[in-house]
Amino acid sequence: MDFELSAEDAAFRDEIRTWLEERRELIEKTRAQTAEYGGEKALELHRVWEKELYNGGWAGVAWPKEHGGRDASLFQQALFTEEYVRARAPERINRLGLGLIGPTLMVYGTEEQKKEHLAKILSCDEIWCQGFSEPGAGSDLASLRTRAVLDGDDYVINGQKVWTSQASYADWIFVLVRTDTEAPKHKGITFIIADMKTPGIEVRPMKQINGKSGFAETFFTDVRVPAANVIDKPNNGWKVAMTTLGFERGTGLGSPMVFNRQWKELVELTKETQRYDHKASEDPDIRKRIAQGFIETRVFELTNKRVLSQLSKGKQLGPEASLSKLFWSEMEARLEELQIDTLGPRGELATGSPDGGEWFSEYLYARASMIYAGTSEIQKNIIAQRVLGLPKE
Amino acid sequence: MDFDFSDEQYMLRDSVRDFLTKDCTPAEIRRIWEDPTGRSPQRWKKLGEMGVLGLTLPETYGGAGMDEIDLVLVLEEAGRNLLPEPLLEHTAVGAPLLAKAGTEAQKSEWLTKAAHGDATISIGLAGAPYVQDATADVVILEENGELHAATQDRLTLTPVQSVDGARRLFKVTAELDAETRMGDANGDAAWAFDHAAAATAAQLVGVADAMLQSAIAYAKEREQFGHKIGSFQAIQHKLAETFLLVESAKSAVYYAAYALAKGLEDAPIHVSVAKAYAGDAERRANYESLQTFGGIGFTWEHDLHLWLKRGRALEAQYGDSDWHRRRIADWVYTKA
Repeated sequence: MDFELSAEDAAFRDEIRTWLEERRELIEKTRAQTAEYGGEKALELHRVWEKELYNGGWAGVAWPKEHGGRDASLFQQALFTEEYVRARAPERINRLGLGLIGPTLMVYGTEEQKKEHLAKILSCDEIWCQGFSEPGAGSDLASLRTRAVLDGDDYVINGQKVWTSQASYADWIFVLVRTDTEAPKHKGITFIIADMKTPGIEVRPMKQINGKSGFAETFFTDVRVPAANVIDKPNNGWKVAMTTLGFERGTGLGSPMVFNRQWKELVELTKETQRYDHKASEDPDIRKRIAQGFIETRVFELTNKRVLSQLSKGKQLGPEASLSKLFWSEMEARLEELQIDTLGPRGELATGSPDGGEWFSEYLYARASMIYAGTSEIQKNIIAQRVLGLPKE
Repeated sequence: MDFDFSDEQYMLRDSVRDFLTKDCTPAEIRRIWEDPTGRSPQRWKKLGEMGVLGLTLPETYGGAGMDEIDLVLVLEEAGRNLLPEPLLEHTAVGAPLLAKAGTEAQKSEWLTKAAHGDATISIGLAGAPYVQDATADVVILEENGELHAATQDRLTLTPVQSVDGARRLFKVTAELDAETRMGDANGDAAWAFDHAAAATAAQLVGVADAMLQSAIAYAKEREQFGHKIGSFQAIQHKLAETFLLVESAKSAVYYAAYALAKGLEDAPIHVSVAKAYAGDAERRANYESLQTFGGIGFTWEHDLHLWLKRGRALEAQYGDSDWHRRRIADWVYTKA
């Protein structure tokens, strides 16, 4: 048992750390300006940063070298994430392209499809969004109803997707559609990709309760998409989607650095904040919860290391990823709740208000973490059935 | 980075597991409950022969010269199988404590015997009102900031009865003097406490795991309303949540062992993380396993209560979860 990095991993870590350090000014400028501007201007700043990553060969470290990546091991990917977070580098804007559709195309795409899209995904010249969930198909994704009918060389798509993040500025979408209404629901689904500029695709931003509009509804009205855009085979889309969601599991592992930093900042907040009749850091209940926050963030970091150690020995990341997602999402919600509680009556003050701040918005988004990428209840079902072997019915 | 055990460490764990599975059955535990001494000299000797009792003692005393990392999976198995004998007091704390802080006379008198199971060492640290296995050949006691190695002739024992019939607890008064005194107390008493807390955390994980696995097995068999009860979402969610807690607790327990083995400066904090989390995880397993078994789990005849009682007793040893949270909070708010 040891906790030292191998020479190779240490070199990898040092390389990205140095590269980011050398770009500290650009990073700070980007962060400050994206916070200030929002919208198109912010997007432009993000694109500039993505180009910088691309030129440095850091845009998609997990990708194979043949497609422009570094063949980084899961552990190195974790190291990259930790350094990226440590440097407070800007949010990535093509996660779905780099993390989901890119790897999916590598497995299931034709040579043509790979040639057409992979390089542009890496360079961020093609931003992707994901059309999976529908108003009537969230946890029960397989019940989706967006319909695709073959007409000559095209599929004609009609339906509605929801929670399409980044749809308002994405260039392409990968979407699950129903191509066979007679077959059992999992067997009538096709995975197809479409240009967001195709006539008939309409994006309506959705405002969420935290005031942000990163998501959208995406309406398809008689949208003609070439049949050549099907990934793998018609009606085999569920299998492809499971592979895609499998790639999502890796990111479901979460970042210990994010939560460690969140906890440290929370400790400082308790030292500064007067809460009702005394300082928060002197309140026994706050202290107990701060201690519990330390315990949980430590346990999370240690469990991550255990999982990564086993993965590096060839074990595949399977339903155990549900354990991680369930753990960190609920831990994050508790940390955010502690922040609101620490603030007492100030907790309800909005961003932009005198004495206000981002905290309530962050707190709400932490509660969303228990819903997106598989609700906590779904994760528990997966753990019970696929890890513990309890019967489905 | 390799946060995992070596093949040799897993092999040792497996051989202890195999032995205890055969030797330390629930029937044997019930027999121990009724037995006057509550201890099996044969089992203790066998553990000595396996090299377990002196695992972390230097080879010069007949030990295996291993460390806390090598020991932690063994402690987990002891918890899992409800080992009655004082592996924690003797192997995890007492013997290495004597090796560390004892006088030359004390060490040459007891350590080789301790490694072979020919003598037993127990511990009674400050703040603990009852001493487990105070009938041991040597009981290391903390008094007025000093550590003493007391033999039976120095002790007056009053037995108390635990609801866990395999625990043998005593109130102890002792006649201590310069002859019984061990080395520098301050540092070593803290060392002993942290080792005891970490070892208890390891046992808690074993107890929790055993209860959880038996509840899972039961849920897969028991039928009501035409379905296995394990198919009901309420049961699935309880067991999934408990599983997450117990698996996560292992990470904390294993790291605490590493921190102690490497003598890390902040090892006590990692011990507190482990003890607090393992205590909480076991408590949850304690509740959900009885809940899953339902009425039958509440019968004396069913074996579950053997674990319920051990687990609950261990939660309170060497600081409970809330005590360790307080220790962490104090550290958070006093460090720079």
